[in-house]
Amino acid sequence: MTIAPKYRPFLTLYYREIRRFLKVLVQTIAAPIVSSSLYLLIFGVSLGGRINLESGLSYLAFLIPGLVMMSVLNNAFQNASSSVVSGKFGGDLEDWRTSPLTPRAILWALSFGGLTRGFIVGFITFMVGQIFYLNNHGSWLAVAHPGYLLIFLIIGGLSFSMFGVSVAFWSKTFDHLSAVGSFVILPLIYLGGVFFSLEGLHPFWQTLSKANPLLYFINGVRYGILGVSDVPVETSLIVSGGALIIFYFIALRILNTAEYTRW
Amino acid sequence: MDVSGKSPLKIEKLVKKYGNFTAVNEVSFEMKPGEIFGLLGPNGAGKTSIISCLVTLQEPTSGHCEIFGYDPKVNPEYTKVLTGFVPQELINHGFFSIEEILVFHSGFYQRWHNKERIHYLLKRLGLWEHKDKKVKALSGGMKRRLLIAKALVHEPKLLLLDEPTAGVDIELRASLWDFVQELSQDGMSILLTTHYLEEAESLCDRVGILQNGNLRTVGPTRELIEKLTERKVHVFFDGVCNEEISSPYLRNREDNQAEFVIPHGVGVGDLIADIQCNVHKILDIKIEEGSLEEAFVHVLGEHQ
Ligand SMILES: Nc1ncnc2c1ncn2[C@@H]1O[C@H](COP(=O)(O)OP(=O)(O)OP(=O)(O)O)[C@@H](O)[C@H]1O
Ligand SMILES: [Mg+2]
Repeated sequence: MTIAPKYRPFLTLYYREIRRFLKVLVQTIAAPIVSSSLYLLIFGVSLGGRINLESGLSYLAFLIPGLVMMSVLNNAFQNASSSVVSGKFGGDLEDWRTSPLTPRAILWALSFGGLTRGFIVGFITFMVGQIFYLNNHGSWLAVAHPGYLLIFLIIGGLSFSMFGVSVAFWSKTFDHLSAVGSFVILPLIYLGGVFFSLEGLHPFWQTLSKANPLLYFINGVRYGILGVSDVPVETSLIVSGGALIIFYFIALRILNTAEYTRW
Repeated sequence: MDVSGKSPLKIEKLVKKYGNFTAVNEVSFEMKPGEIFGLLGPNGAGKTSIISCLVTLQEPTSGHCEIFGYDPKVNPEYTKVLTGFVPQELINHGFFSIEEILVFHSGFYQRWHNKERIHYLLKRLGLWEHKDKKVKALSGGMKRRLLIAKALVHEPKLLLLDEPTAGVDIELRASLWDFVQELSQDGMSILLTTHYLEEAESLCDRVGILQNGNLRTVGPTRELIEKLTERKVHVFFDGVCNEEISSPYLRNREDNQAEFVIPHGVGVGDLIADIQCNVHKILDIKIEEGSLEEAFVHVLGEHQ
């Protein structure tokens, strides 16, 4: 099979993205093992024993899908944004701009790069979760709807890669980037229902949470793994799909108008 | 893509402003197929700004550029494969080795399985033994050569070299210029900027001189030199010559020699006839042609 020349720039950049995070393989794999183990140990096992959910699920089971999606989103965002920021310093952005890579090709290549890393880390998180689950319940956690799970992971990974690309192109300094991380992403993820269920919340907070798009991302994954969630899966699908489309057009606009010159 | 016979580069009334500041002011010129064109000018003249517009790093404020008949703004998919670009600033890709960088760069230019060309360039540019190093482990001159290798992986038809020899030692500079000449003989059209005017003089078929964003003059290198400089003629006499020499071109007179400066158009024969000196008394005549540097200084001085 030969690949038409016009797709080669895109595939090359995607390949380069993968090679880039493979160079920091230990960081890619070890960091999520440590962080997800900590979450599972502290929240899932030690606090989780004292929490009862109305749905009858164990808190540990409830927590695992949220942690998986959190890994995917964080890693997609980080991978894509750090690629752009280091490209700004190194001059890679200029190379991309002056080569036949189109803004659309750049966006998709970076997004698939982020998604791939998100998948790897998400899978590792899931396996760590499984070990904790096996240890506590004596059985593996079965995946209820693999198809939905895959769709939500893809939507989440792509959306957050595109978000990462946008923020990185817009940022003028590393501080901008980390400010977005700690003032936007972290709160959205934490308040998006990774650690708690809507059902226990005061109606005011329920309404507020429902305005957070990440609630739908996370509940979509929860439905994919556990078969139950706070939000109907159709709603999750529509909102997350809509969010992806919005992220895509914002990112594309930024790439079309941004400066590619060095810092 | 067949581009034979088409002008590799045509710039019409190009204007580039940064805010209120005009860096390039209605510059127009055209390159001929296969030629080496030197874009010269002092620091800040606007050379890099012009090149940046050609490679879409900057957007022209107004005016028009064409690369083999295609506007880089309208048909970047054509102009980008046709053009190779060596930026003035050094790059510093952190993660990859020199060879990996060239492999990726080939892919960006739609070329896969490009090992042969990459290895050729690595060897030709003296980077072969450094191919597994990272960029930060290279010296400045090696980085410069890596930039040149990158610009050539896809065998462009037009090569834009923005100060390709800045920071390169004398010996390597000579070999780089040889390489440029070789590329030109193979049919590549080359636009270069440099502050080494002597090298530009021997290399460039034509040059354009920029100053404060204005293209002051453009033309074949030899013609410009002839038009804008004078020739120095030293006449050495056999023994002491006491004869009175009256010539409007006389600059300096010593016992056994005289120095004349003649504009182009005045022949050396005319000069000798004019001074009415006994031809048998003339031992030797040395003619110094004007240089591009003199022409350059002359052009810049005219517009002070
Ligand atoms: N991004 C920019 N923003 C504002 N001004 C700029 C920018 N780039 C260049 N300039 C200004 O435009 C003018 C032309 O710069 P340019 O880099 O094109 O000059 P140059 O001829 O390449 O000079 P050099 O020989 O030093 O490389 C300079 O006065 C410079 O300060
Ligand atoms: Mg310059």
